[in-house]
Amino acid sequence: MRVVVTGIGVVTPLGNDVTALAEGLLEGRSGASAITVFDPGGLATRIAAQVNTADLPAHPDRKWSFALSATSQALVGQRLEPGEGGLALGIGLDLFSMPDLIEYLREHGIPPERDRETFLQTPSERCVHDICRRHGLTYPPQVHVSACAASTDALGHAFLTIRRGSRRWMLAGGSDSMINPMGLAGFCKIRATTVRNDEPARASRPFDRDRDGFLLGEGAAVLLLEERESALRRGATVWGEIMGYGCSFDAHGISEPHPEGRGAVLAMRRALENAGVGADEIAYVNAHGTSTPKNDPIESAALRQVLGQRASEIGISSTKSMLGHLISASGAVEVASVLACAARGKVHGTLNLEAPDPLCDLDYMSNGPRTLASGRAILKNSFAFGGQNACLVLKGPDV
Amino acid sequence: MDAPPEARLCHSVSLTGLACCEGPVDCLPWLKTRKMLKLMGKQDRLAVVAAGQAARQAGLDEETLRQRTGLYLVSAHIPFHEEDILPLAQHSTDSLGQFSMPLFSGPGLDQVNPLLTFRCLPNMPIFHVSYNLGIQGPSMTSFPGLGQFYQVLEQALWALEEGDIEVAMVGAVADQNNFLVDYHWSRQGLERPRPDAAGFLVLRKGQAGVAKLRSLSLTYDGEPGRAHPWGPVELIHDLAGAVSRHQAHTLDGYHLSSEWEWV
Repeated sequence: MRVVVTGIGVVTPLGNDVTALAEGLLEGRSGASAITVFDPGGLATRIAAQVNTADLPAHPDRKWSFALSATSQALVGQRLEPGEGGLALGIGLDLFSMPDLIEYLREHGIPPERDRETFLQTPSERCVHDICRRHGLTYPPQVHVSACAASTDALGHAFLTIRRGSRRWMLAGGSDSMINPMGLAGFCKIRATTVRNDEPARASRPFDRDRDGFLLGEGAAVLLLEERESALRRGATVWGEIMGYGCSFDAHGISEPHPEGRGAVLAMRRALENAGVGADEIAYVNAHGTSTPKNDPIESAALRQVLGQRASEIGISSTKSMLGHLISASGAVEVASVLACAARGKVHGTLNLEAPDPLCDLDYMSNGPRTLASGRAILKNSFAFGGQNACLVLKGPDV
Repeated sequence: MDAPPEARLCHSVSLTGLACCEGPVDCLPWLKTRKMLKLMGKQDRLAVVAAGQAARQAGLDEETLRQRTGLYLVSAHIPFHEEDILPLAQHSTDSLGQFSMPLFSGPGLDQVNPLLTFRCLPNMPIFHVSYNLGIQGPSMTSFPGLGQFYQVLEQALWALEEGDIEVAMVGAVADQNNFLVDYHWSRQGLERPRPDAAGFLVLRKGQAGVAKLRSLSLTYDGEPGRAHPWGPVELIHDLAGAVSRHQAHTLDGYHLSSEWEWV
């Protein structure tokens, strides 16, 4: 059974619909700017790729608002039976608000054991149940929390659910915003984010020699996945196909990928095997490409192992060079980005790749967009803190 | 009408290992390297001990764990402990008792151990299990409760059915006795959960075990039930007591049941 993508909803730093996203990516625009969501004070990182929330549903939890908007966009005009569908979402952390905590402590002091009368978190999974309620979904929703691989895992599991015949369609993707004091401070504390505060648009530079960490982004993407024959019967617009999914553990380090990319290689090979696609059929790779010193050369080494002699002939680019790293939402937003550009027959390039790192010696498309070879397969990588890796094999709209 | 594809999932699935642990645990015997200990929160330690014990009970060797085992885990809400966040709050408060970003980003943040960032990620327990047991297989990581535990269990059964893995390690871990999570339960009128615990099941197809999984049902209507969301570890505790049937309607709207036949 084949699984196609028939709807895409996005909320991104380059715009809150698929058209704006594709145009921004193909023009090579950066979504980065000085942080305005909150005052970053003296944090080492004071830039991010932020979403314009003016036209989004009002909600105190940004990622919840993003997810509602992306879901509604994906379902516009679809006329699907809710009882035949389901939801799988990769979702960000439940974090608490430090100002709220301090206000609470000022009023109450440290809560005694039996009198803890305030709670400052918005448990993340509640967003998933809210979406099910709003859209009448009665299939048990999946909540994926594999950090930066979460929404790729959500897409993968939704794909498998349809391919097995358990559902006719699934909404799948991810939503996240860690652009808040606790979220950004945590990344600053481990020196994971870029500190190129004076030039936000040049801060995210995957595979470049002068990269210094990832640019924190926020956003959401929800894709409508559907069994191909029923999608074609109802005349749905087909954005592309999900052909295979694979995941793995490095079993190596919390924040350090395995030096030879062991887990990344395993996940890519499992996705290719699951898709029944050979490495020689891959025409483009959408990299994890974080712009961190550790990820980029190891991803390059892993790609060389998987793609073999053709590795240097295949176009590879990083969406994070323009959108930043959307953490739990990154994989789904990057898949949406690939399919949005593929609908125009293109793949986007890698922004800010000016002086390639000698250890990143593959074709990282520093010169901007290219034509996507018709009917050829695409590999999508997502690698997470904790050594969790998830990869998808995709095709563009000519399926 | 054809039977749903889930109907074949439980066929010849056996429970070959089961372990639970509670409270403070000594995880050192289960660690590859002692230096990892400083990176581990309570959930991480509990998960590693339960997984290690379950793997040992099931007789899993290093190669089986590395190449043929999938890992499926539900973690509960992220534990933020008072000793970690109160110093940050105190040093981020100005003379008027208000939150101050300059203080937060300076002296406040200085109070925070960088390793706290890692302890707050919901996929850290599954990382520590994969690292210490050497598991590189497929996985699903979810949170926070019983409905999601049944989902990871179902995904594990699919991976067994489709031959992606030979062994499924399916677990749950919770550390809910802390400053912030506590209120989440109290505002829902729930009793304070058990302090902290973890449990792991080891499942295989076509092998003798201590029990056979006879049926599994997972449906959803979004209507709140009564089962405590912290239930997955309790379920594993119940299984350790050789219960034959588990049934629950969770607060977040999952209807769950499973039947086990003890050998």
